[in-house]
Amino acid sequence: MDVKYINHFISAVNNTFTTMLGSSPERQGLSLKQHHVAQGDISSIIGFAGKLAHGSVALSFPQETALKIHAVMTGETLDKLNKDVQDTVGEIVNIIAGGAKTEFDQEGLSFHISIPTVVVGKDHTIIHKGSTPIVLLPFTWEGCSFVMEISLKLEGTPRRPIRQLAGEAF
Amino acid sequence: MKVLVVDDSATMRRIIIKNLNDAGFSDTVEAENGIEAISRMAGVELVLTDWNMPVMDGLSFVKEIRRNTAYANVPIVMITSIGAKKEVVEALKQGVNNYIVKPFTPAILIEKVKSVIPN
Repeated sequence: MDVKYINHFISAVNNTFTTMLGSSPERQGLSLKQHHVAQGDISSIIGFAGKLAHGSVALSFPQETALKIHAVMTGETLDKLNKDVQDTVGEIVNIIAGGAKTEFDQEGLSFHISIPTVVVGKDHTIIHKGSTPIVLLPFTWEGCSFVMEISLKLEGTPRRPIRQLAGEAF
Repeated sequence: MKVLVVDDSATMRRIIIKNLNDAGFSDTVEAENGIEAISRMAGVELVLTDWNMPVMDGLSFVKEIRRNTAYANVPIVMITSIGAKKEVVEALKQGVNNYIVKPFTPAILIEKVKSVIPN
């Protein structure tokens, strides 16, 4: 997977947070994830399916982050991950996936995106189908943390191997 | 003016309705998918709809109401995270009057809404 494809997702995260939440997050690094356990208390995953690209993207949030996002988006302060917060998290991931899809489409890599699935609970699992490596991108936003997971398979030969990307700061 | 807001996300419906209310559009009705939206069309003068929804998606909903002569001229704004040119062209072809790509600001939302309201 070429580095620019990861940047499509990062760009979508920045645009979504800046427009809907008033400030952009900071990315903290990049690594490959070797297991399925989520880092947050609530996660949302969206699948991609197309002839030239398929996979999934997930965002996982600690409770504190999810509650803060919900409060900023809706003006409603809550203290648990109820149905409304789950809906907010699903919608944020939907907007990010749509933003990334738009950038891929401009490069001729069209795919459909699924409806978001939301999972709640300590140590829940996030399953990305297939054996494609999972790229893990941690972020901080307004003192809160969250991570994005990307598992994307492009048909054809990647310009550089994905393991090489993991050690790069871009 | 009665405005129908169609989105499977309750959070997004809440944001859209708040922005509409702040701009003076206080008569709103909600639906969470195309099927529900069809059943709530009576008296509606403007539709704001998402695309990617379960049960019946936004594009299918637009096709349905454009087939009905009673709603053939109701302005429709599609509000969706899908901003690819191909999708925008398809939506306009099926009868959508304007298109907003999420994420959006309140100013953009109201500007696009006003652009489709007849003078």
